[in-house]
Amino acid sequence: MKIFLDLKWFFQQEKKAYISGVFLLLVVAMLQLVPPKVIGIIADEIKEGTLTKGILIQWILVLAGAGIGMYTLRYYWRIMIFGSAVKLSKQLRNSLYQHFTTMSPAFYQKRRIGDLMAHATNDLSAIQQTAGAGVLTLVDSLSTGGFVILAMAFTVSWKLTLICLIPMPVMVFLTSWFGTMLHRTFHKAQEAFSDLNDKTQESITGIKVIKTFGQEKEDIEDFRRQSEDVVQKNIVVAKIDSLYDPTISIIVSISFFLSIAIGAKYVINGDLTIGQLISFTTYLGLLIWPMLAFGWLFNIVERGRASYDRVAALLAEKVDIEDKEGLTDEVPSGDIQYNIEEFTYPGENEPVLRDTHFELMQGETLGIVGKTGSGKTTLLKLLIREFDITKGQIMFGDKNIRDYKLEKLREAIGYVPQDHFLFSATIAENIAFTDPTVPFSQVENAARLANIHDDITQFTDGYKTVVGERGVSLSGGQKQRISISRALLMNPEVLILDDSLSAVDAKTEEAILSALKANREGKTTIITSHRLSAIQHANLIIVMDEGRITERGTHEELMFAGGWYKEMYLRQQLEELVEHGGH
Amino acid sequence: MEKTEMLTEKEQRKILFRLLSYTKPYKKDIILAFTFLLITTLGDIVGPYLVKIFIDDYLTPGNLAYKPLLMLGIAYMGIQVVKMFILYFQLVKFQELALFIIQRLRIDVFSKVQALGLKYFDRTPAGSIVSRVTNDTEAIKDMFVTVLATFIQSGFLLTGILIAMFILNVKMALLCVVFVPIIILVMAMYRKYSSKYYLGMRERLSQMNAKLSESLMGMSIIQVFRQERRLRNEFEDINNQHYDAGMKNIKIDGLLLRPAIDLIYTFGLIMVLSYFGITSFTASVQIGVLYAFINYLDRFFEPVNQMMMRLSLFQQAIVAGSRVFKLLDDTSLAPAQIVDQPVQIGQGKIEFQNLSFSYDGKRDVLKNISFTANPGETVALVGHTGSGKSSIINLLMRFYEFERGKILIDGVPIQGYSKDELREKMGLVLQDPFLFYGTVKDNIRLHDESITDEEVKEAARFVQADAFIEKLEDSYEHKVVERGSTFSSGQRQLIAFARTMAANPKILVLDEATANIDTETEEAIQTALEKMRRGRTTIAIAHRLSTIQDADLILVLHHGEIVERGTHQELLALRGLYHKMFLLQNGSVERLEDVVN
Repeated sequence: MKIFLDLKWFFQQEKKAYISGVFLLLVVAMLQLVPPKVIGIIADEIKEGTLTKGILIQWILVLAGAGIGMYTLRYYWRIMIFGSAVKLSKQLRNSLYQHFTTMSPAFYQKRRIGDLMAHATNDLSAIQQTAGAGVLTLVDSLSTGGFVILAMAFTVSWKLTLICLIPMPVMVFLTSWFGTMLHRTFHKAQEAFSDLNDKTQESITGIKVIKTFGQEKEDIEDFRRQSEDVVQKNIVVAKIDSLYDPTISIIVSISFFLSIAIGAKYVINGDLTIGQLISFTTYLGLLIWPMLAFGWLFNIVERGRASYDRVAALLAEKVDIEDKEGLTDEVPSGDIQYNIEEFTYPGENEPVLRDTHFELMQGETLGIVGKTGSGKTTLLKLLIREFDITKGQIMFGDKNIRDYKLEKLREAIGYVPQDHFLFSATIAENIAFTDPTVPFSQVENAARLANIHDDITQFTDGYKTVVGERGVSLSGGQKQRISISRALLMNPEVLILDDSLSAVDAKTEEAILSALKANREGKTTIITSHRLSAIQHANLIIVMDEGRITERGTHEELMFAGGWYKEMYLRQQLEELVEHGGH
Repeated sequence: MEKTEMLTEKEQRKILFRLLSYTKPYKKDIILAFTFLLITTLGDIVGPYLVKIFIDDYLTPGNLAYKPLLMLGIAYMGIQVVKMFILYFQLVKFQELALFIIQRLRIDVFSKVQALGLKYFDRTPAGSIVSRVTNDTEAIKDMFVTVLATFIQSGFLLTGILIAMFILNVKMALLCVVFVPIIILVMAMYRKYSSKYYLGMRERLSQMNAKLSESLMGMSIIQVFRQERRLRNEFEDINNQHYDAGMKNIKIDGLLLRPAIDLIYTFGLIMVLSYFGITSFTASVQIGVLYAFINYLDRFFEPVNQMMMRLSLFQQAIVAGSRVFKLLDDTSLAPAQIVDQPVQIGQGKIEFQNLSFSYDGKRDVLKNISFTANPGETVALVGHTGSGKSSIINLLMRFYEFERGKILIDGVPIQGYSKDELREKMGLVLQDPFLFYGTVKDNIRLHDESITDEEVKEAARFVQADAFIEKLEDSYEHKVVERGSTFSSGQRQLIAFARTMAANPKILVLDEATANIDTETEEAIQTALEKMRRGRTTIAIAHRLSTIQDADLILVLHHGEIVERGTHQELLALRGLYHKMFLLQNGSVERLEDVVN
């Protein structure tokens, strides 16, 4: 029940809804007592022959009133209590989302997106259950159960009540025992199902191998065996699950039998009227639900608590890249100077960058090349402060980048990442990502610079074409160019192209590079690339290997030096030839 | 996220009937289950009737004869106890039936998947095929277990109660029948509105989850471009819409679900009481009958509630059913073989004659390919990515059907061999050696029980995989987990070689791994490859030209055409494309410079 304490803040926030909801529930629980009572009274009146039109109409009005009253109040408590629960999940979902936006890449490296999604969906729905159905079962089972027992004891007979309640604890005990067993076997059935899922996944991924070896029949046989296992385990579940109804039915019958048999004796003795006995048995029917609900409640609460703990832990995760106190709103500009002695990713032991020092003047272009994993991208990530440098610093203009507000620093930088991620939105919206309000001409202009305008106008919906996971599929090169236009729309002080031209052909690359040159006069550009032609004209080229700079200079200087750069350059020239069939 | 398609009433009915047709093989069990159901329903109905007899014949007149009462008591409890047991078997039986039915459906779907051609797999993401086989069938299972069982049980009970009512008092029973259309109306209304709102909520939910997962994937972009605030607002918007949809659902449930049924119950009660009250003004009324009616009325509404609660599950099952049937009805089957009389592959001579092929019917990926691989010879295919090498293998392995040109094996068109013959005599080693869950032995034998343990070891020894396998814990019984990620790529390759060798094919098709293989196993692989090729006609895709220098024929492909052909030496002498490719892999800087300039 600790979860209800954990959620205290929310109950307080929604005080009004919860108090009135619980109040309505109590009223409904009391109104529920009316029909059985009325049945008993009328039965007695009929038996005695004392029923008059007046009495009948009076009681019928009472019944109708109670019925309509319950209908109305039931509708409203649902809105109060279930409504609040939905609100809770909404609020927590917003908090989670907001929290996610403040987390740095270090956080996302540790966690899988699937897990984060599970917290935001399954866990929230378990918490919602607790705040809704949980509160309902707690209040309702206590109040209905309590009121009914009181009504039985006081308006009929407390002795009979005690006798009839004897089998009930057995029911509570048995059902909760079944619950535990069910949980265990259900778990096994779920595992078998997930194994079957894995098996299917495997067969489909390995379909070529299966076809190659002509193993279709055998694989189907294997699948049949596994799904047989699923069936067997589910039958075990079914066998336990099916225990509930017969158990409840027999125990209720025993209670019922006791009430009629012993009640009859009271009737003969004149201690009870027949009407009272009928009321009594009807009350008994009202008791079943609260008894069952109690067992159910523990289940809900247990799940809710585990989920709440997980979500709370996630929300307590600290923001690791933060602004210093008292920074101005200055947007950086000027020369960039890297002085990195060492950088190690959080949680790793090996440094990925060592002794990396260089300077880039405002308006110049820097080319960074090197093998995969040599540290090129890391250099860029440090500049946009996705990670903070462990030893050393980067100067931008006359200040350390940590002396600017993070938001202002990033305002100066247009970043085109390696994995060209586009959102499920129109092309125009993707390009105008930093500012959805810019005039369309600017969007078009950015697209022209990135040499993608012509491609876009070829689509049926032009700039309104929806892309991303659920939209049309674009080629890698098209995605790259759209993400370049996205960065260009900002007209940033520094443009970073992180291997962003890998999927475009040489001609397009050339066109984009010269468009950039013409339009970004006086502004700084940093390009990393596998293909050397992309950085050939840079003012400074650095060659990275295992986190260090191994060669530096202009293209001509590096070709003259005859190291890795030269060999790579020649190799790529030849590759180009081969790609074109040797001509 | 998959779109939820809207189905018309007619389509829904068709799907339902098709799902129900899966019950056919279980006629006997179904009859048994229904018999049980009939008995338990009878038990449910007889109970209140016995109480009625007790009240009217014994209690009211104050006639407490010991014997008949004891009999009555024993009858009542006896019926309850019998009912308890039968109820148990009935519940189990219905669930078992549902499980068997789903099992059949599942195997059907899976078998269908196996029968589909690779074309289908090219255009359908693996995840969604898996969903069809498991998750969708699971949703249908829910329908069989909870929805259909509940509906049938409820239907039985309702009919039983109505019959009992008629036996007790025809006039009163007729009055109660009036409630049936009202209940049906409420159910129809609920179904109409809730399916609309429910669908609305599901859609919002899937939008919201899509937004969330997309944001998580693109978080670095959002942060670098400083759009956290805007996205937060957008998310809040969708979240609010979802909240509104959720509230609407709560309201609809509150208006039309349990509270409404309870209200109707109250009116039923009023009617029963008024009827008996008014009758009592002129005639005598049996209290027992009144009691029994009220009791029946109580039971009458519970099944209705149960049915209403299951309606949305039903809807989901129908949608799942429509997806499953779409897959079952798909016609893109694997290429068929036309076998007039059984022929066997003897020598293994392979000929390609003027073969052209296109995957999409628009762009040819192979243009007029002709070559011959004589028995025991090795033909190597080289070329840039997308030059058509893999397509040649795909056609030779019958993964795709072709129409223009011919492939002959021992002079017989490839379509003329039975599938089994082709699979038995042709061994393919894939670029990515796929390992299945199971043991190393299972992976070499691959379901073929006719391969003995000794032959498995033999095959491993032949490709020199025995050394590392024997070092593993449990050696050949070593468990392969997560597609063999615990092995190095070279080791995986060796296991795949052993798998091919265990099948002892006449023709070998090799798709050489592009991935870097650790130097340790590299040598073992080279030796194994050489041994495997001996005495077998081999078609090999080579990425590293050094491995195929001894090939009898090298075909250089470019844009789907054979642009150069000959032996290694002949092709080098030609100083064309092959020569450049070779230099790229083996040349020194000086030689590179020569060629480039």
